[in-house]
Amino acid sequence: MSGFLAITLLLAAPLLLAAAGELLLERAGSIQIGLEGTMLIGAFTAFAAARSGAGPHAALLAAAFAGLLAGAAFAAFAVAGRADPILVGTAWNLVAAGGTAFSYRLLAGATGSVLEVRTLPPLAFGLPAAALAAFFVPVAAEVFLARTRPGLALVAAGENPLALAATGGSVVAVRTAASVAAGALGALGGALLVLTVSPTFVEGVTAGRGFLALALVVFARWKPLRLVPGALLVAGATALQYRLQAGGSRIPYAVFLALPGLLALFALAAARGRGGAPKALGTPAP
Amino acid sequence: MNRESAARRFAVAAAALSAAAAALVGLALLAGTSPLDAVRALAEGAAGSRAALGETLARATALVLTAVGASLAFRAGVLNIGLEGQFLAGAVAAAAVGPLLAGSPLAARAGLLAAAALAGALWVVPAAYLEARRGVPEVLSTILLNLVAAAAVSGLVRGALQDPGGDYPQSRALPDAVRLAPLAAGSRVTAAILIALALALFATLLLEWTPFGLKLRATGLAPAAARAIGLPHARLRFLAFAASGAFAGLAGGLEVLAVTGLLYDPFTAGAGYTGIAAALLGGSHPLAAALSAVLFAALGAGSSAMQRDTGVPGALATIVPGVLVLAVLAARARLARKAA
Repeated sequence: MSGFLAITLLLAAPLLLAAAGELLLERAGSIQIGLEGTMLIGAFTAFAAARSGAGPHAALLAAAFAGLLAGAAFAAFAVAGRADPILVGTAWNLVAAGGTAFSYRLLAGATGSVLEVRTLPPLAFGLPAAALAAFFVPVAAEVFLARTRPGLALVAAGENPLALAATGGSVVAVRTAASVAAGALGALGGALLVLTVSPTFVEGVTAGRGFLALALVVFARWKPLRLVPGALLVAGATALQYRLQAGGSRIPYAVFLALPGLLALFALAAARGRGGAPKALGTPAP
Repeated sequence: MNRESAARRFAVAAAALSAAAAALVGLALLAGTSPLDAVRALAEGAAGSRAALGETLARATALVLTAVGASLAFRAGVLNIGLEGQFLAGAVAAAAVGPLLAGSPLAARAGLLAAAALAGALWVVPAAYLEARRGVPEVLSTILLNLVAAAAVSGLVRGALQDPGGDYPQSRALPDAVRLAPLAAGSRVTAAILIALALALFATLLLEWTPFGLKLRATGLAPAAARAIGLPHARLRFLAFAASGAFAGLAGGLEVLAVTGLLYDPFTAGAGYTGIAAALLGGSHPLAAALSAVLFAALGAGSSAMQRDTGVPGALATIVPGVLVLAVLAARARLARKAA
């Protein structure tokens, strides 16, 4: 059972990182439904860095840097450019899925062999330091939003952007900063997958985790600390799927594959949708 | 989104074309190939021969239907991002009922396609319910339903739908008499493309030229005004949502009937997501969306040939539609701000 718990925590960490970043961006009033794509970019960058000789921690840093750039690029379209963020996010997923598959083929050639990378060394409970740190990110986000001046500006950009602009703040600057942070956290989440769970890159390695993280934000009603139980629930369902798959259970395999998505759907239904959403969510900056 | 001046359309098209060209050249250079060779291989693979053209049209069938389906939803203000899942629901229905249908091939095909369209429409129901009753944005619920559909396909081809006579995770094949035969020898294109194009035309007429279409557009364009003049807002949204799902489900059914003959895992190469990109490129106008879908299908067919002949990875066919849509969105937003 301790194995089950460790795997649940390990699987929850990437979800928490990605969801915490998305939560910050949504609290600032924008939304990136291409989070899956950002996670893929992080996963691929970590893989490529590790293959070219970087240690696992350096690979993690490289992924974070790629995520910063990805967040800035998204903001250039959806924040400064004022294009509809939902539509930009849809196209974003295509570019990221295609871009990482394209780059992987250039890197790995046409060979079908699996290229492994070195994983992060475990620190405690069989988890690496980065995965453990992921559980503190929601706490940090909670404190940041409630107790700091930049945090208050971020919340203002999402609740009442006109008021922020009237008091001399820049909604575009705040949302861009949030997007950059969300990009880095999303990419770190993707990188963590490659550097812990499956030490290689395959097309679509994120397997819908970016989409689940999006649902977690709504489930948490845009409150960082509430991300933790949701992430543990979804990660637990995935861990259960691995366990039963290996154990030859008689319960249909599909039920467990579908479980994280179904749980997220029920969670959304229970959370009653938009309750708690930032008032200016998805609207262009003034 | 639909009434743009000629000058604006030209500016948007110019932005899109230059972005796509830059992406093509840049990616070819990244792969260490002369862009000219890459583009030549791409064009030949897409339309250089009868077989190439057939490949493009065979790939276009599903994309045209998902693109038109996405347009119907978007124009009514429904953000259906779940065409991928609805496509899979249609394919599952086709694979499930296909081998059971008796009678003439024509009746069997009609039954199979009706089941596929129905399954696609039913797959939107949870999302429509959650939106109407629980305020869950359909963007999120449809994305999650995509994940559930993919999981269901994965399980079904290893369970209830697995061919009892085989070891592979795939369903029983449709009888040859039921499957659609190629229109020309040596080509993969079937009459399915004609069905898809006819439906694209039908959707255009419905949306642009009928009072019902006007109501759908009004609901999407100005929900408050539409409600104020007494339009049944919720019902119109649901109809557009279900029609959109039915188009995607039909795409999945036709994929089984005309292209694969059976269901396997993973079944789609992103027909739902690329269809959305085609709808966005076509400004959610069904006919323009269908044309964009044919363009993306040509890109897909051409890039397979390009990968084989020049070594430039075929994933280029996923990147370029995304880049095109980003360029169009950015150009439209910029022009809208200038005008304001």
